Amino acid sequence: MKHLLTGTLLACACASTVTAQDITLGRFFGACEDAGTDTKASVGEACIIQSIINAADAEIEGVSIETLPTDWGNYYDQIKAAYAGGTPPDVHVMHRHRVPEFAGFGALAALSEDDLASAGIDPADWTDSARDAVTFNGEIYGVPMDLHANLWHVNMDLMAEAGLVENGEPVLPSSPEELLEHARQMKEATGQDYLAADFAQFPIGVRLVLSLMWQQGENIFSEDGTATIDNDAAQAAVETITQLFAEDLSDPQLNYADSQQSFLNGEAAVLVNGTWVVDFHTAEAAKEETGLDNYYAAEFPTLFEEGATWADSHIWVIPSPVKQDAETYEAALKVLAFINEHNVDWARTGHMAVRNSVLESDEYASLPHRTEYAGTADIARDTPPAENYGAIQDVLNRELQAIWLTDKPVADALADANIEVQDLLDR
Amino acid sequence: MSNAKSPLQRLNETQSAYLLLLPFLLTYGLFLIYPFFRGVWISLHDWNLLQVAFNPDAKQFVGLDNYVRVMWGRNIEWSPWARPVLQVLGLLGVVASVALNRTRRLTSLTSVALGLAGAALFLISGVHAGEEGRWFDRRFWPTVGNTVLFVGLTVPGVTISALLIAAALNRETRAMSLLRTLFFLSQVLSVTVVTLIWQIMFSPRQGLIANITELAGGSPINWLTDERFAMAAIVIATIWWSLGIAMILFLAGLQDISKDLFEAGALDNCTGVRAFWHITLPNLKRTITLVIILQIILHFQVFGQSHLMTQGGPNDETQVLVRYIYQTAFRDSELGRASAMAVFLFVIMGAFSVVQFLVGREEND
Amino acid sequence: MLSRSYYWLVLALSIPAFLWLVPTIWMVSLSFQPNDVLARTTSSTFLGLVPIPFTVENYTALFAFGQTPMWFLNSIIVALGMTFGVLAVSTTAGYALARLNFPFKAPIAVLCLIGLMVPEQAVFIPLYTMFSDFGWHNSYHALILPRMAVPIGVFLMLQFFKAIPKDIEEAARLEGVSWIQIFWHIMLPLARPAMMTLAILTFLYAWNDYLWPLVSAQQRDYFTITLGLASIQSNFAQSEGLGRVMASGVIASLPVVILFLIFQRYVVQAMTAGGSKG
Repeated sequence: MKHLLTGTLLACACASTVTAQDITLGRFFGACEDAGTDTKASVGEACIIQSIINAADAEIEGVSIETLPTDWGNYYDQIKAAYAGGTPPDVHVMHRHRVPEFAGFGALAALSEDDLASAGIDPADWTDSARDAVTFNGEIYGVPMDLHANLWHVNMDLMAEAGLVENGEPVLPSSPEELLEHARQMKEATGQDYLAADFAQFPIGVRLVLSLMWQQGENIFSEDGTATIDNDAAQAAVETITQLFAEDLSDPQLNYADSQQSFLNGEAAVLVNGTWVVDFHTAEAAKEETGLDNYYAAEFPTLFEEGATWADSHIWVIPSPVKQDAETYEAALKVLAFINEHNVDWARTGHMAVRNSVLESDEYASLPHRTEYAGTADIARDTPPAENYGAIQDVLNRELQAIWLTDKPVADALADANIEVQDLLDR
Repeated sequence: MSNAKSPLQRLNETQSAYLLLLPFLLTYGLFLIYPFFRGVWISLHDWNLLQVAFNPDAKQFVGLDNYVRVMWGRNIEWSPWARPVLQVLGLLGVVASVALNRTRRLTSLTSVALGLAGAALFLISGVHAGEEGRWFDRRFWPTVGNTVLFVGLTVPGVTISALLIAAALNRETRAMSLLRTLFFLSQVLSVTVVTLIWQIMFSPRQGLIANITELAGGSPINWLTDERFAMAAIVIATIWWSLGIAMILFLAGLQDISKDLFEAGALDNCTGVRAFWHITLPNLKRTITLVIILQIILHFQVFGQSHLMTQGGPNDETQVLVRYIYQTAFRDSELGRASAMAVFLFVIMGAFSVVQFLVGREEND
Repeated sequence: MLSRSYYWLVLALSIPAFLWLVPTIWMVSLSFQPNDVLARTTSSTFLGLVPIPFTVENYTALFAFGQTPMWFLNSIIVALGMTFGVLAVSTTAGYALARLNFPFKAPIAVLCLIGLMVPEQAVFIPLYTMFSDFGWHNSYHALILPRMAVPIGVFLMLQFFKAIPKDIEEAARLEGVSWIQIFWHIMLPLARPAMMTLAILTFLYAWNDYLWPLVSAQQRDYFTITLGLASIQSNFAQSEGLGRVMASGVIASLPVVILFLIFQRYVVQAMTAGGSKG
């Protein structure tokens, strides 16, 4: 009995001396608590990423991962607070557009080619745009996970009813006038809205307007830090959308969840949202009870001169303080390598992969609807780098909401937005 | 008592007092007084949250710059007709306070308060950006305005409904105490539970309110995203949440009114609504004042309802001061500016606390 | 004794009281309905106020995978820690200020009074930077300590101790009992009802506090239930589902509601005392 006891005690002691390297991981995408470790079976951003993390936790030897809170709402506020408090997570996800802010203050660890190579990450396999996404002042600050962009999610049954299907593909407008025409046609034939999007909460409406500005060769601010929102291009972009509201062909008051629901219920023919909902829509379209039966994921159409759609990248980074502890840094790199390795699983969400080897693979090509928006990578655009992009986006979201929710004159709203964005750029 | 006294027992009165005070004074000094002055100090700096975290010397002393940047602008002018409605209202307040004091309908303290409030309204709402001028921070004063509007809607809402309910429930019976419990229950819920419930209640697709409207044949309202209803929505949720305290305070005040008064009133055929108007209200005046001031202090600090239910939207209609402070500090990383706003909040709150203290003392006299 | 008009009054008041309860009932009812049903409609039976179809799956899932139990435990730890902390510093300081004479008593009392004017929202930024400098964030003490500095408890206790007759103390003094012993053996037992009141006031505050935990706790391990609930309510549509979120809401509310129902008298006293004084 006594031997047995000491035996167990010894076993315990041994086990605790070879403890795994603990890695804390920060991410958004929402919670998925029962994701499991099967990276091939999970559905939806939250569950796919969590299954990859769970698999990394199980498969990487000597590393155990703890996932921190996962909500969107306060993510950057909280991650900043964590940095400032000296307790950032060991690895965390962020957007490409935040790199200038975080890397600019020295918050992120620069990852040398050697470090990446020894962890099994090959930057040469990344697409050019992905490599750009993680590069700041010539250094690599993270591992890209995707390229995500706005798509037009289409309900093919409604489109067919309105006579807007040709050769099994939706007929999308090629000018603002045609958009209005199609929308009227839709209302007449089906009584439903042509277009739905979150115009009332998250900055989906901002991204729509940005795309339409880029399509006219304009941007909201220039590389040298001058705001350029108060111009004809912006006016035209905004009015492309407001003409739909004016004739009740789209509802500006829907928020994210409501716009999604309205599309799934078959109350809107087109939903403007990101690549991240493709697999969710595919799954919902397969169900009996949803109003959406025939789903198509279309590229963002070109309504002006050149093709452009809003795009961004999710990237994984390591905070600079982590580098001081070689073991943690090494373990953190292993986690990034694992995520990089599972790029094709993440792409199942609908996002575009960032590794050329994945993009060329059969597995990637066979993902549902993938061919329908294959050209999106070529028209993907983003704003110039800015340190306080979060605040700028917020200004635009507020002023655009003022236009469609509170009837503020377009010219006033654009002038106000221009002043405020300039203030932010000058700070 | 034994002769071998422990050191604790040998302490004299002064020593004992300081020993007993020590734990509180330590936490108080360290976690309230010191942070307060540190906040003022931060507000005098250009202080970026991330930058300073990685390099403590990155802060820069800028004097009162943050206050100017937040509260002032270029070519700011004052004119008596900038916002006629508000300014006339302010003048009316001044006139009313003088008139009511002359006719002795109001005590001097109340009339001074009313007069000052009116004058302040007249003066403050006359300030505006002149030609070619602009506020440096265009969101700050509208945000303060939203906060005041929120307080202005919530406080009367809570006070009136709590007063009516309390007056009706002021009897010691089982049924009444059960009803009191029901009305009070929502008060103990946390702000996140309240916002969770009401977010779904108000949802145009899943909400109970929308379900009822649809049943009645109407089309549901987008409560949280419609500029006409968003503020109303968070006010309704807040009234539902915080009616309890006011009701309890009124009930306590009602207990203090002598039963004889009501009995005497009943002889003069003064019952029901008339008794409420002629006996209850006049005798409850101080409690009402206290409840109102308490609510103002409480609701001026609103954060969760706006942060979680509407994210300040649509178009900043429900953006409130504390949320703006939080965002400026943790989203925009501008601790200096945020601290300047926090000092502003403190000044406002402090002013109301002084009023509360004065009214409370008047009560004790 | 009770007149007919009384019954009418009760009846008339029952309607608003029921309406007042409806949102809470709805939350409870939704938490007992299956998620896939809720995704389509929230008004299955009697506007959704009756949980048919019924399931307890939301709760079992919550306890099987959820972080809710951990958050719940954190809230208990923080709320109890804060309650004991506040009781300790408030009773001692309140007693000293109420019953003892010592130099600088008046200025110290005034200093404490001034503290009542400083709202939490006015100091959370400097507190945040201070705790960053100490490396204290993401810990229980970071969540507990700031509230211990709020002088409201001192004033509640001060007022209570002032009302106790002097002769009890004087008799003890004549027998040579020390001040500390008087405090510990005589005053504290007498102060039980006031301490109960203060305890409940503090517990409720701690359980429901949102802003400070939001900035201080960035790690899931130190989320309180109030904070955790805020983190899952913004995007339930994409992750947990409405039923699960509502179940978390119910779990988060249970302790305070039970506490309230058991100690109703004290809660009412606490609210009255806390309300009229600050």
